[in-house]
Amino acid sequence: MVFTTDFAPSTIRPPSMTNSIKIFAGNSHIEFAKLVAKRLGIDLAKCVVVKYSNQETSVTIGESVRDEDVYIIQSGCGEINDNLMELLIMINACKTASARRITAVVPCFPYARQDKKDKSRAPITAKLVANMLTVAGANHVITMDLHASQIQGFFNIPVDNLYAEPSTLKYIKESIEDYQSIVIVSPDAGGAKRATSIADKLDVDFALIHKERKKANEVSRMVLVGDVRGRQCVLVDDMADTCGTLGLAAKVLIENGATKVYAMVTHAVLSGKAISVINNSKLERIIVTNTIPHDDKKLLCPKLDTIDVAATFAEAIRRTHNGESISYLFNYVPN
Amino acid sequence: MRGIAVLSGTSHQSLTHDICQRLGISQGSASLTKFSNQETNVFIGESVRDVDTYIVQSGCGNVNDNFIELLIMIAACRTASARKITAVIPLFPYSRQPETPYNKNGQITSRVPASEVDKFAVLNASAAKKAAHMPAVLEVPGSVVPADGGEITLAQPLHHRASTIRTESAVSIDGSRGRLSSISVSQPNIAVTSLAPLPPSENLVRLKGATQGTYKHWTARSGTLVANMLMAAGADHIITMDLHDPQFQGFFDIPVDNLYSQPLMIKYIKERIPNYRNAVIVSPDAGGAKRATVVADKLNVDFALIHKERRPTETPNVSDMILVGDVKDKVCILIDDIADTSFTITRAARILVENGATKIVALITHGIFSGDAIERINASDINEIIVSNTVPQDQNLAKCPKMRVIDIAPIFAEAIRRIHNGESVSFLFDAVPY
Repeated sequence: MVFTTDFAPSTIRPPSMTNSIKIFAGNSHIEFAKLVAKRLGIDLAKCVVVKYSNQETSVTIGESVRDEDVYIIQSGCGEINDNLMELLIMINACKTASARRITAVVPCFPYARQDKKDKSRAPITAKLVANMLTVAGANHVITMDLHASQIQGFFNIPVDNLYAEPSTLKYIKESIEDYQSIVIVSPDAGGAKRATSIADKLDVDFALIHKERKKANEVSRMVLVGDVRGRQCVLVDDMADTCGTLGLAAKVLIENGATKVYAMVTHAVLSGKAISVINNSKLERIIVTNTIPHDDKKLLCPKLDTIDVAATFAEAIRRTHNGESISYLFNYVPN
Repeated sequence: MRGIAVLSGTSHQSLTHDICQRLGISQGSASLTKFSNQETNVFIGESVRDVDTYIVQSGCGNVNDNFIELLIMIAACRTASARKITAVIPLFPYSRQPETPYNKNGQITSRVPASEVDKFAVLNASAAKKAAHMPAVLEVPGSVVPADGGEITLAQPLHHRASTIRTESAVSIDGSRGRLSSISVSQPNIAVTSLAPLPPSENLVRLKGATQGTYKHWTARSGTLVANMLMAAGADHIITMDLHDPQFQGFFDIPVDNLYSQPLMIKYIKERIPNYRNAVIVSPDAGGAKRATVVADKLNVDFALIHKERRPTETPNVSDMILVGDVKDKVCILIDDIADTSFTITRAARILVENGATKIVALITHGIFSGDAIERINASDINEIIVSNTVPQDQNLAKCPKMRVIDIAPIFAEAIRRIHNGESVSFLFDAVPY
């Protein structure tokens, strides 16, 4: 077998291999799973995941998975608890069916924001989810842009935390005119590290928006640290949920003299009033990846643009299955 | 009582309230909400450090949501240093396991048994084409494949939810209970790729890419997973009632107390059914025979059973229900643990009336009543249906004039009291706490 370095989709089942690969998809993001399977040149494996009339989940695996390398693609979005139970039951079904190795491919990790005990008696739900995945029988987890990369430490099994950063950099270079003069802005202090990493790779300037709390009950105001006068700004964050922060940040940047404001976000949760906040804000465009399905939201929001990261996941799956290194994907985008 | 906190999940707040009233304590404060992205948010409002906590959550309503909420509450109490965490689960979720494709001798069926043929049936291309335009995959797990062998995916944009399909012959994944016969599809983009091999038959459409091997697809049985998840979250003890499958206790490494609603039912029969000594206890299917005979023996009355006879060769899709025993001119008391779609008890009631029963009373422990079960019961021959409140019944009571609810809060409160004080619980297996 020759492992080439180009990324044309290739068959993954050379005749000398005894165990092959099966990819199952839960109901959360089937289009994404199909894109991944297409890149790998195989079909999605047959399974049916529905609900009984009393709302319990039923999983039926339609092919033999004995001694196979199984990948289950399910994102933590939509009806999160339902999708999480589906994922766990699918993992467990494959384990009791004697799969050789089960990898949970979770583009957006659920409950990732509840990862610390920030007030008394708060549960660390991310740890609970990690325990449940392990107990269900997963041997490996592949995810993207974990809210805190320390969540990998919650697991005793290997976790591959892929990065959307190479895809983000590619988009900036190709789609934003005059990108050498932009300013990368982090909408809060917690994301500074993420933003500086991108700014360094592009060799551009960096700024930060800081929520200042003068007194306990006073409304906090957002302060810009850095200079954006006359420049295009790119806000960088990992998750866009209600988009309150992004909307306010865009306002502050325009008030401080920015010409255009873009937002680049990995996980587009976009719940509640997010779409109207975006439409009414000063953002020029918001670019998200397809870790979470948002086609219906695109119809309502003309500013929404998508980066496809299925290729990164497909390549990660291919390399994991063939036993090659994934670190190439931390710096390059498979085309 | 000292050192105890009883918390409630969202599934059955009124039951917890009643339990706390019986125990004479105030309900523990916990706030349960959802973030805007539908993640569950649990906040325990009082200190539980070194306290025995009891978390009451039933596996009803939105089962997955309530189950994850229960797990998060257990995890929250654990990280808050609770002394012992007991999960009180009146109706245990995922307790019914689907059948494996084995015949009685334990061999894998090389030919799909007649009663299961309708699970796989896509009989001809026109049915498949018609099904292709249906808004959701309700002929699960039958493969829905057009004659040209293309794949059907239902990821097309759907503008309306699928209505439920009620034909019993088409969909019956769990033959004995017909649970899938009215599926409500909650997510519009279920893609059903064609399923694994069907038994060879000219009637069935060839699947694209299907192997000719002997793999029979099977539905996952989630019982062990649920037990492992409860233990992994940190529960130390489980209290439940009338487990569908008593062997379920063996899936756990922690102690499980399976309480019985049967003393309450016997009390109801003695007090509310006139002339009960001449009644007949009937089990609506063969699996529940043991449960019904226990009640019949305690009351010293006759027993009968309804049996689904399967005729494999002549008419494979028809199964006959026959009554074993005599009910002519008698009052019949149907006893079952779960009533979900209510096909079983309504069909049983019909058979009993055809065989001469005068009045039919149904005693059910867990009244799930999903889909249009209540309408079915209202239209059936059942005169009275008595359920316990392991599942909240307020809405069902309003819709069904035949229904009565017996309260199981005293049993649970007494069990919690005894467990907390370290006394024996076996008193509750025979007597009803007043």
